[in-house]
Amino acid sequence: MAVASATAVAGRRARRTKASAAPLTPLARRRRALFWPFVAPALALYLVFFVGPVLASVWISFHRWDGVGALEPRGVQNYEILLDDSTFLDSFANTMLILVVVGLATFAVSFALTMVLREMRGRKFVRAVLFFPYIVSPVVLSVLWGFLFRSPEGLLTTLWSGVTGATPNWLGDNLFTVICIGLIWVNTGFFTTIIMAGVDRIPADLYEDSALAGATAWQRFRHITLPLTWDVVATAAVIWTISSLKIFEFIYAFGGTTNDMPTVEVWNSALFIYGSTFGGRNPQYQFGYASASAVVMLLVVGVLVVLLRRVMRRAQIQF
Amino acid sequence: MRKSSSRHGHGPLYRGGVGLVWLLAVFNVGVLAWMGVAALREHTAIFSQPWSLSTFGQFGNFAKAWSDSGFGAAALNTVVLVAGSAVVLVAISAPAAYALARSGTRISGAMALFFALGIGIPVQVIVIPLFVMLENIGLVNSLTGLFVLYVALSLPFTVFLLTAFFGSLPEEVEEAAAIDGAGPLRTFVQISLPLARGGLITALILNAIGLWNETFIALVFIQDTELQTLPLALLGFMQTQQYSGADYGALFAGVCILVLPMLALYVWLGRRIVEGMTLGAVK
Repeated sequence: MAVASATAVAGRRARRTKASAAPLTPLARRRRALFWPFVAPALALYLVFFVGPVLASVWISFHRWDGVGALEPRGVQNYEILLDDSTFLDSFANTMLILVVVGLATFAVSFALTMVLREMRGRKFVRAVLFFPYIVSPVVLSVLWGFLFRSPEGLLTTLWSGVTGATPNWLGDNLFTVICIGLIWVNTGFFTTIIMAGVDRIPADLYEDSALAGATAWQRFRHITLPLTWDVVATAAVIWTISSLKIFEFIYAFGGTTNDMPTVEVWNSALFIYGSTFGGRNPQYQFGYASASAVVMLLVVGVLVVLLRRVMRRAQIQF
Repeated sequence: MRKSSSRHGHGPLYRGGVGLVWLLAVFNVGVLAWMGVAALREHTAIFSQPWSLSTFGQFGNFAKAWSDSGFGAAALNTVVLVAGSAVVLVAISAPAAYALARSGTRISGAMALFFALGIGIPVQVIVIPLFVMLENIGLVNSLTGLFVLYVALSLPFTVFLLTAFFGSLPEEVEEAAAIDGAGPLRTFVQISLPLARGGLITALILNAIGLWNETFIALVFIQDTELQTLPLALLGFMQTQQYSGADYGALFAGVCILVLPMLALYVWLGRRIVEGMTLGAVK
């Protein structure tokens, strides 16, 4: 989960270090001698456990393979089957639904919370409480969340039936919705913290001036808060994109056990890969086919991050 | 300053918002309290009287989860694994991050970016080659294998985090040390590492949290019950319940064993954790 942090800063830093490369002090020269010995162990692990496997995934995706026998070349056939596989298409749609709908809802809620928290007493405490789910195991969150919605004995279900008289079967009829709301619950604290840090940098007198000029809360949000936090929001959007595609445990634990997958209707791409390889009581070991879907997933991450950064890029506002 | 700006706009909308925010906070605290209370209640009462406190005080639930359901063994595995991999991880990442932040060559900037790309790669995408690779060297279903994976797969984030930290340190002290005749290695060990202590501790804690909760890799690579980590113990416990009947008291006790150490850590070091996790976004 910690891995959810940003990639965006690295690009900026790359440019900065390049600029400072001009004069070479004796210290810098001696440091350079240490560059490779210092970087080599990390780089070797990175090449073996990230770069190699990514290339291998692409290679495997053009074959039929159960992981034991020989690889059987089959060209782009795996990809063609993917496009006809309703399980894959549904889980891909779920991934996108989580990315867009849960993402927008999370950001909207986070902004709303920020606007309220900004002026509220006990803001530090409340923010800390809201952040906490983010560092709890998603398996635990999923179990607790599921228990709340159990029918008829879950806490929220008993509350609901106490108020309305009806006893809905939430986990049976609307499992994916329950999961999505749960994801908003888990992620809101994290993104509220990020957005709040952006909002805190805005000088208070901007708000005072606009309030004197008679701006409404919405106008202040639209013309001050949003433009001045835009770069933070853009980075947060990249973080969300990356981390939303990695979501696995929170959905998986609704299947309940080490062996059972949840129903296909709530799968996302990550669960699809697991389900067509190692998961379930009768693992499929379709390594070639699953690799094809993994490559699709990787392409989607790449394209989305590049697109997001392009769309959300804006002139830096000085204030 | 803040007060004068907030005098306006305290309409019903804002007050409703404050109410909602507190409701959310109460919900989070409530879920946590419910978990703790249910862990100390008798199995049937938890759901038959969900809103009451009857049968409170069943400390046997914890004993049952700890010994009968394997949470004790899993806790030991997890603690050793998490502590070991977090320390090794930081030991490998720190020199690399230092070199990337300080050497100022063109290649170091490009390589920092190259490492950061790894953060964007979902582990599900590379799990198949990793599995085949570890199977060939006999490290599937072994804690050593899991340790190697945990170190390797957490590298990009750790290098990224520490590069930012080393980059933010003042260079003057290092220059002074160099003028006094310290070699670059000695400067790194005796000057830069102690200066970056805060960053190193943050990296250690964030990785410990992430690995403590890690489920996917463990799920794929560990099959034996004796080797399982805490999240697997929880999933496994839910599985045995399908056959041998549910025991929600013990289940909640198991959940507590997973959550309470994180809660303690959060209460103790919350600010550092939050700042470390959101560092990349708000700088």
